[in-house]
Amino acid sequence: MEISPDTWVLAEWHGWRLTATVGFTWVVMALLVLGSWAITARLSSGESVSRWQVMLEVIVTAIRDQIKEVGTDDPDRYLPFIGTLFLFIAAANILSIIPGYQPPTGSLSTTAALAICVLIAVPLFSITRRGLGAHLRTYIRPSPLMLPFNLISEISRTLALAVRLYGNVMSGTVIVGILISVAPFFFPVLMQLLGLLTGLIQAYIFAILAMVYIASASRARPDPDTDDRDKTGD
Amino acid sequence: MSIDWLTVAAQIVNFLVLVWLLQRFLYQPISEAMRRREARIEDRLSEAKAAREDAEDEARRLREERAALDQERQGLLEQARDEAAELRRDLNAELREEMESKRAAWQRQLEEERGDFARRLQRRAGQQVLHITERVLADFAGSDLSERIAETFLSRLKTLDAATRDRLAEAAAEAESAVVTTGHPIAPATRTKITRALREAINQDIPVNYKDDEAGLLGARLIIGEQTVEWSAARHLKQLGVALDEILDTEGHRAPATEKADGGDAGDQETEAEGSAT
Repeated sequence: MEISPDTWVLAEWHGWRLTATVGFTWVVMALLVLGSWAITARLSSGESVSRWQVMLEVIVTAIRDQIKEVGTDDPDRYLPFIGTLFLFIAAANILSIIPGYQPPTGSLSTTAALAICVLIAVPLFSITRRGLGAHLRTYIRPSPLMLPFNLISEISRTLALAVRLYGNVMSGTVIVGILISVAPFFFPVLMQLLGLLTGLIQAYIFAILAMVYIASASRARPDPDTDDRDKTGD
Repeated sequence: MSIDWLTVAAQIVNFLVLVWLLQRFLYQPISEAMRRREARIEDRLSEAKAAREDAEDEARRLREERAALDQERQGLLEQARDEAAELRRDLNAELREEMESKRAAWQRQLEEERGDFARRLQRRAGQQVLHITERVLADFAGSDLSERIAETFLSRLKTLDAATRDRLAEAAAEAESAVVTTGHPIAPATRTKITRALREAINQDIPVNYKDDEAGLLGARLIIGEQTVEWSAARHLKQLGVALDEILDTEGHRAPATEKADGGDAGDQETEAEGSAT
């Protein structure tokens, strides 16, 4: 039984293998980009707005509001990164109701890649906002003795992000697979529905946690609340 | 649970490409559209606010104008009311004056009518009295009365004043005869007395003829040529009627304007003069 899309090779060409992870990632990307392009090509700034545009506006506005709620004063600065995280993970998870589809987020490689992106984005946003020195000083706060712990914290939370998402999505896939072999009717459908919910929640958690990390690193004084939210994230 | 680092790298690239693409096709256009719409709505709202302020200013101005108009109208109404009251007072006074004058005129007319009626009544009464007297005298006229009349005529002849005698004498000198007319025949003796008295009075022997065919004379008349001497009750009654008319007329003229000159005495004198012979 395939539990990871990494092992599912869709095509092979001169030693280059196209795994399901990358293939379905492209599918998700194509859907997102083409859908957005199709809608935003006929944008209206007047009173009459198409339903699709309203949908996109609602999504964008909701993401921006969430970013703002975390405590940043400039949501547009983080919108592309956080929004893409959410949209990609949500789309990848929702599409799992399509038979034959394997969510790329069920691959540890994908989740690790996203977590690495977050790991890099946090200091990047912090440095561009506050400068390199100010950012580096956050690692020796409240005292230089905390430097190793801060570094471990950075690594460990990145690892946690990757493994949390991977575990949730993969477990959903595995459970459905097991149920199909045990009770092929009805139960897999229920689990798929549950999987949709779980997928959306995981997308939300991943995006929000990324935003929390970025926000806490970008602030002049780290807010102790953000650490609490980190712990209660999963 | 294994990590394919090549896939990780590929996914990182994929993710970054997706970020760029979505930024290009999703976030930027949508944010731009929303910003434009917000700007438009903001413009509309500010326009609406300006329009509302304009409308409020206009409404305030209109309210003030209306208040001024109300005040003006109130003033005009007050003025009109005052003028109407004044006009009513004037009209009332005029009407009262007119009514007063009409009433006075009516009363004057009434007085005149009453005076006229009284005068007519008096005149009618007097005429009736005269008529009755005339009738009574005519009814009682007879031989005795004729004799008495003749005697009275005789005494009158005897007591003629000098001027009348002279006139009669002049007339007798030219005339052939004298004529004595009576209402009823008189006795020959009386006739003789009359003839004698006449001739004494004028000192001429003039023949005297007697006529008694004039009905209602109730007296005697002497005609010598152009001169006439008459004594009759009818003449007295006629003179009385004339006097009565004169008195009533005088009274009638005096009634509306009492300050008018009193002409009663002159009337009396005229009445007395009627007694003399003409």
